[in-house]
Amino acid sequence: MAASLTGLLKPWTPRVLLVRWSRYNPYYLEPGPRKEVYHIPETELTPEQKEERELKSVRPIKAATNSVTSSVFNDPVLSKFVNMMMKDGDKIIAKGIITQTLENMKRKQVEKYHKAPEGKKAEIECNPYAIFHQALENCKPVIGLTSIQKGGKFYQVPIPLTDNRRRFLAMKWMITECRDNKHRRTLMYEKLSQELLAAFSKEGNVVKRKHELHKMAESNRAYAHYRWW
Amino acid sequence: AVLRRTSQVRPLHGSGCGQQQEAIGMETRPETFSIFRTQENDPACQSEQHLGQYYTVPPSHFHTVFPHGLPPRYQQQVKTFNEGCVMVRQPALELISHLKRADYSKPTLRYLLYGVKGSGKTMSLCHTVHYCSTQGWLVLHIPDAHLWVKNCKELLPSSYHASRFDQPIQASNWLRNFRTTNEHFLSKIKLRQRYVWTKRESTEEGRPLGELVDMGVSRVKSSSDVVGAVLKELRLQAGGTEGGFRLAVAVDGVNGLWGRTTLKKEDKSPVAPEELTLVHNLRKMINNDWCGGAVIATLSQTGSLYAPSSAYLPQELLGEEGFDSMDPFVPVPVSLYSEKEFESCYLYYLDHIHFHHWLQHPHSQTEEGKKELIFLSNRNPSVLERLCAFL
Repeated sequence: MAASLTGLLKPWTPRVLLVRWSRYNPYYLEPGPRKEVYHIPETELTPEQKEERELKSVRPIKAATNSVTSSVFNDPVLSKFVNMMMKDGDKIIAKGIITQTLENMKRKQVEKYHKAPEGKKAEIECNPYAIFHQALENCKPVIGLTSIQKGGKFYQVPIPLTDNRRRFLAMKWMITECRDNKHRRTLMYEKLSQELLAAFSKEGNVVKRKHELHKMAESNRAYAHYRWW
Repeated sequence: AVLRRTSQVRPLHGSGCGQQQEAIGMETRPETFSIFRTQENDPACQSEQHLGQYYTVPPSHFHTVFPHGLPPRYQQQVKTFNEGCVMVRQPALELISHLKRADYSKPTLRYLLYGVKGSGKTMSLCHTVHYCSTQGWLVLHIPDAHLWVKNCKELLPSSYHASRFDQPIQASNWLRNFRTTNEHFLSKIKLRQRYVWTKRESTEEGRPLGELVDMGVSRVKSSSDVVGAVLKELRLQAGGTEGGFRLAVAVDGVNGLWGRTTLKKEDKSPVAPEELTLVHNLRKMINNDWCGGAVIATLSQTGSLYAPSSAYLPQELLGEEGFDSMDPFVPVPVSLYSEKEFESCYLYYLDHIHFHHWLQHPHSQTEEGKKELIFLSNRNPSVLERLCAFL
């Protein structure tokens, strides 16, 4: 009994201390991790940049998250993709899969480059980052569908999508496609690299899914006026 | 002192690193060749001039000299680039100069390559093996001694010795690769003793070694004993004056021979390394009681069993027993890339004449990116290779 009472008298500190809260006072400014901004000398700043710098010296700044780096190789789209692929907070495994995918894509393209005849060599893209971005662009839907209730029934109504929503849908479809439709023995990075290369050349299941969504939206054109925003 | 020649150096793409330091006395290269490559593809003629430069292993030799023994990531790299380029580094050159000047009538010298993980020990060993095979030596290359002390599916009790165990699969694989490496020796070396395998099979005295090896590959059950016989014959005949050849024993991961195994007998008691025929015979080979060759060994923590991951020194990895058996040996430390070697490696990956840029990320070709690569990899060869693979 004495042990539990002394335990209650101790000042309690949580085991994990939050450094960055997601809800900040709007007074706080965003951190700017890119180094180039700070290397510009005083004379070459535009008036807006000068204002921004003065503001930064006065106002408090939010803490930067762990995934944001000042590295030249930092890619926000890729980081988002890694976060979406992550399961149970295991970023090491997700990042590992993505790096293996990029390496695999580069190897396949370089081998294709070596085997191609002279005329075709210039067309083969060997940069895995360029392929990734282009493939994601090819998978983004232009128009989406949402369920709107009118007169007791639910209709699938075509709506415009924001940029973030389009990017999210492209990534989500890519990841679910690779998780569901792969052979038991194929590894994730292998399947992902196949799908990304197919999407780059506008083939494959993800691009097909985007086209089906577009067709559905086109066929439901009549309900477009159910949207009131 | 080192000369800095700016007028004769052709400006290189994207990299802004105009500080290429070349040794005094080097002739101007024709402009089509690059700073980091050398045309000297024969390891015997390479010298300090060529330190930090890549030489290409001729494709015709590649599969005969290295059927096994190259690190797996390097094999992938060779397949992607369609060429096998090895960097000329200080430890390998040192080893080759020792081998050139050693006295082969005295008992064998043992050389031990040691260094931190990923510093290039296996690649230096392969460079030395290439030198030995171009000089016409008989090369006994064991790709990884750890493969013999772990993950063995079939462990047969040995027919020759009651308490020992045989590993048929590993032994026959090794014999097959040995046959590919040393084709031309197999018909020249004759056996000096009669070997009896079963009641009906035996190999007579005076038969060529090739027959013994073929028998070992086809009769998988007695392949471990065949390996023992081959090693014994080579040991006896290496220093011989009539038709004498020099024998190079290259063992990767030699610390696996002394230590513990993960194999278990049928009553679940652990198997000690001495109880395996392959390990027993290989230990006899590493002893310096024969002459006419050299033993080049590498320590390896990567495949080792029950060794902490920060251990890289010989004393820690070999243990007491191993150190006493290897003592005396010539230690050859393998360090991480120096600045010049890092430059050379970076330019090799950036090279676009021989193969499309391996470093594809636009930022990796700038100064900033290069500084970041140095920081992330700490000039460790294998870490740099893995970084450049996805960048």
